[in-house]
Amino acid sequence: MKRLFLSIVTFVTILSFTASCYYDNEEALYPSLSSSCDTTTVTFSGKIAPMLANSCLSCHSNAVAAAAGNNIRLQDYADVFSKTAAIAGSIKHTGTYSPMPKNGGQLNDCSITLFDIWVRAGAPNN
Amino acid sequence: MRRLSLAFLFFLIPSGIFAQDDLMDLLNQNSDPEINYTTATFKSTRVLNGHSIEKMPPGQLDFRISHRFGTINSGAYEFFGLDQSNVHFSLEYGILNWLMVGVGRGTYEKTFDGFAKFTLLRQSSGLKVMPVSVSFLSTIAATSVRWSDTSRTNYFSSRLSYVNQLLIARKISPSISIQLAPTFVHRNIVATELDPNDLYALGAGGRLKLTKRISLNAEYYYMFNPKSYMSQQVYNPLSVGIDIETGGHVFQLMFTNSLAMIEKGFIGETTGSWGKGDIHFGFNISRVFTLKK
Repeated sequence: MKRLFLSIVTFVTILSFTASCYYDNEEALYPSLSSSCDTTTVTFSGKIAPMLANSCLSCHSNAVAAAAGNNIRLQDYADVFSKTAAIAGSIKHTGTYSPMPKNGGQLNDCSITLFDIWVRAGAPNN
Repeated sequence: MRRLSLAFLFFLIPSGIFAQDDLMDLLNQNSDPEINYTTATFKSTRVLNGHSIEKMPPGQLDFRISHRFGTINSGAYEFFGLDQSNVHFSLEYGILNWLMVGVGRGTYEKTFDGFAKFTLLRQSSGLKVMPVSVSFLSTIAATSVRWSDTSRTNYFSSRLSYVNQLLIARKISPSISIQLAPTFVHRNIVATELDPNDLYALGAGGRLKLTKRISLNAEYYYMFNPKSYMSQQVYNPLSVGIDIETGGHVFQLMFTNSLAMIEKGFIGETTGSWGKGDIHFGFNISRVFTLKK
C-alpha cells in the first residue's frame, strides 16, 4: 500500500514537472479574429479612444451624454476608467448591462478583444 | 553454567540497588515538563469544502464520499436540488508523521485530482510553545470532459490546474478552532483575456464544538482578484455545516454556494450566490481504515 501511494506521489510529481504552468486563454489560443486585428500594442490613445469615438461618442460624448446617453460619458479617460466593467458587459451583450451600441450590431470581435486586453493591462492612460 | 549465572546475578545486584535509587529520585523530583501537542484541532481533514490542517496518521486510509446537490431555489419539482447530485470520491492515506497524500475523482468537469499535505508545525504547549499548527497543501487537478471543439488543437496542459495553500490553525479552546488559509490557484487555461490565470485567495474557517460528537463549522474564501472584470460572474464561497462524529465515520452536512469540492473549483468558479438562493445542500462522509498498526 505504501509503495502504491509512493508511486502515485512520484507520478504526480513527474506530471507536475513535465506539464508545467501555462498562461493560456481560449481567446488568444484559438483566435477567431482576422489576421488584420493588431493586438500587439493596445493603448488608450491609439486603440481605445478611437474605437469609443467611432462607436460610442455619438451618444456618450460630454456634449450630448445628458440628452442622448443616459448621462454616461465616455469621452475622457477618467470616465472610461471608472466604467470598464460596465462597458465590457455592454459591448459583449452579457445581459448584465444594457447591450451597446443601441440600434446597431455588436462591435466586431477585434474591438471587443482590444478592449479586454486594455482592461486586463489595468486600463492604463497611455 | 551455574557458576556463570551466579556471577551474573552478583553483577546484577548492585546495579539493581542503584536503579532503586534512581527510581526514588524520580519520585522525589518534580516531573519534567513535556511537549503537549494539540490534537483534534478539526475533526476531519476538511473544514467543509477546503482542507484543514489535520492529516491522516501513518498507515490510515480515509475513504471519502462527498455529494453536493442542486440549488435549493430550483424548487419543489427538482425536490429543492436533491434530484441532481455532484459527487467526489477520494482515497487519502497517511504515509509519514508529516505527510499525507490523496487521489480523487469528481463529477465537476469530470476532474481527477491528487494532493500532498505536509505538516510543518504543530501547536504545542509545555516544554515547547508553538501558538499555531501549520500545514502546506499542494494539489494538481486534471479535467477529463471531452473537448468542446475537437477540430482545433487541444493541449493536455489545458486540462491542468494547480493549488498551493498554507493552512494556519489554532485551537483556541477545547471547543473553538480557527484556521486561515492563504491560497494560490493557477489555471493553465481560462476562457477570455479578462480572466486571470492566477488567483489569490484567503480562506477562513472555524469550528465550534457543540457537544462531544457534534460541531458547527463555517468556511469562507475571499478572492483578491477583482471579480467585476471576469467573463463569468463569480462569488466567494461560503459554507456552513455541522460535523457529526460516530466512531470510524465523520459526517459533515452543509449548505454552500459552491458546487465543486476541490480548491480549483470552489475558488474562482463558484457561480452561485447566497443572496439569490443558489445554495447547495451537501455532505462529506469519511470512513477511516487502519491498514497498518
